[in-house]
Amino acid sequence: MERRGFLKAGTAGFASLMTGAGMLTWSPRSEAATISKTYYITAGTQTMPDGVSVYVKGFSNSAADLNIPAAPLICQEGDTLSITVINRLAVTHNFVIGGLKTGDAPLASTGDIPAGGSKTLTYTVPTGKAGSYLFYDNKTSYNVFLGLHGGLAIMPAGKSDELYPGSPKFKPNRQQFWIFNDIDPALNRAVQQGTAIPSSFTPRYFTINGLTSLPPGAPGHSDPARDALYDPRSKLSGYVGERTLVRMLNAGMCSHAVHTHANHMEWLTDRGTVRPAVWKKDTLYLRNQLGKIDAIFPFEAPPDAYPPVTKGIFPMHLHDEMSQTAGGGLYQFGSMTEIVFK
Amino acid sequence: MSSKMDGGGGGGMGNACYVYPGSPATPGRVTPDVIFRRGIYMNGSMRMDDGNSVPIWGFTDLNAGQGQMDQMGGGSFPSAAMRVTEGQIVHTELTVNMMWAHTVHHHGIEPSQENDGVGHLSWDVMGGTYTYQWRPMHAGTYFYHCHTNTPLHAEMGMYGGLIVDPKPTPGDAPGTKRAFYNGPKYDVEAIWAADEIDPAWHNLNWAAGTCGGDVGLNNLNPKYFIITGVDGKTSALTHPGVAVTMTLGQTLLARYICAGFHPQKIDFGGLTVDVVASDGRPLPAVWKTGSIDAHSAERYDCIIKPSSRGTWTVTVQFLHWRTGAVMGTARTRINVV
Repeated sequence: MERRGFLKAGTAGFASLMTGAGMLTWSPRSEAATISKTYYITAGTQTMPDGVSVYVKGFSNSAADLNIPAAPLICQEGDTLSITVINRLAVTHNFVIGGLKTGDAPLASTGDIPAGGSKTLTYTVPTGKAGSYLFYDNKTSYNVFLGLHGGLAIMPAGKSDELYPGSPKFKPNRQQFWIFNDIDPALNRAVQQGTAIPSSFTPRYFTINGLTSLPPGAPGHSDPARDALYDPRSKLSGYVGERTLVRMLNAGMCSHAVHTHANHMEWLTDRGTVRPAVWKKDTLYLRNQLGKIDAIFPFEAPPDAYPPVTKGIFPMHLHDEMSQTAGGGLYQFGSMTEIVFK
Repeated sequence: MSSKMDGGGGGGMGNACYVYPGSPATPGRVTPDVIFRRGIYMNGSMRMDDGNSVPIWGFTDLNAGQGQMDQMGGGSFPSAAMRVTEGQIVHTELTVNMMWAHTVHHHGIEPSQENDGVGHLSWDVMGGTYTYQWRPMHAGTYFYHCHTNTPLHAEMGMYGGLIVDPKPTPGDAPGTKRAFYNGPKYDVEAIWAADEIDPAWHNLNWAAGTCGGDVGLNNLNPKYFIITGVDGKTSALTHPGVAVTMTLGQTLLARYICAGFHPQKIDFGGLTVDVVASDGRPLPAVWKTGSIDAHSAERYDCIIKPSSRGTWTVTVQFLHWRTGAVMGTARTRINVV
């Protein structure tokens, strides 16, 4: 049993799974800086929409928190990351920043962090590494699925409106992560109880930034701390013209089809590689095995409305529709959020 | 509209939960250029190459005399395609009886919130008629499907093709066909909607799982692999609605729709195709390829002009969304005579 640091989401005195505000805020600098952050590896339970309690782990903001995904990091090329990770659990973990492109070596790693121990990772970001990264635990092949993951945004030096130097522009301070995960509670239970890890997984819950959607009428609907439709980290909200960069990271088991209503997305990268040309897509193929995509949601007036409109609420959901369920049913309780034209 | 339809959800609707019945007047309704009238059938079936039949649901085409919510079947699978020209004002009139709820979502078409066909952000049509009003502004390949209890309803077959033709390009002779305005011309067209079927899902109630309980909608284990409603094991190799026969010198536009829920890989059997558009938008430059990796609901428009007579077998592999294992294949042919 892994009991040390055991927390329960949503109980009094516990901050909740949701951390931080919505968009990533960023002010470019002419000089490099050191970005320091401490994460605590904690564990606890999260209650799924059907009432099932699932054991999860996270890189959390304090020993009393359980944050899934971790609070995001943002820096620029040339900055030095100084990340301390304190392992509050009874088993060894680690903290790895994945590479930019498929096949790249990780940017940096703490190495093993023994139970109760801590490690500090120091990494100076070289030029050419602007992009979106998943940081995670790869001590085992499945720790990432338990919730031990988060997003790192590396900006081009001195820029606030480009993904990479010369990329299509987005509005400064309008960028956010969509981090997807798939949960098979049998895996989580085996980790919690120290029993054999299943040889095959069948996910039953599907999250975006750690939460599932809760449709109108459901307990918790519209609560930004519980409902992915309203979670400001996930929800896209803007006026026409407010071009927004979405950094999509797949921490989960399954490949997904990311589908936006209302606008086509401008597809900039696939698994860290800049696309040879920008395609406009309403559905993007987000691979598993740590796949990632960067795209701009342009917030153009929905082109096919008649009479024309500039306001409305639309969904982003995964089109592999199994991901729109919870516990084998409960359609609309999966990986979905809202796109709000204000 | 900026608020949601909060009423009706959650409390249960017979055996259904989290459906949002409604069929109000269409905001800003005008006289359309095109009208599609759709009903519902939920007692269809598809006969597979192994002799088994699988229950199928879909939309009936009321303009074509198919049944009006009478459960008498008569609808095609896939549902009748919609075909319009960019810039036209279109009405899709959906009529549903009191026994179940459905919507029409025109996938890739981006209308107003009320006309997007997403129940929890507008309404599910139940015991009434709603007219979706939209005006497509981009030529290309789309499809429409029900967005109520979507995993089940789309799996059951509630979808059909949606083609937006371009406005005529100046100087074109009458009858000239192009993929998009001033885009590549074609002579022959194929619509390949590749889908997988798990029979275990096909005996569920329309509202299965909506009130909770494990009905298996997280776990799609397909046994059949089809192209545009035809079994891809054998029949699609020769079915005239799927397999292409063209003469040397003609140009084929193959509209490939990834209509299932698992990823797919379509291989053109040794032909190199020019992918000219995806998801209803022209690509900035032609992409020459012999195969395409796609995931659920993506569309790719492929211009194919074989340089010799012969037969090419087009193969769609269906890949498990977690393991990537090939679960099955569906095949058709391009015959150049």
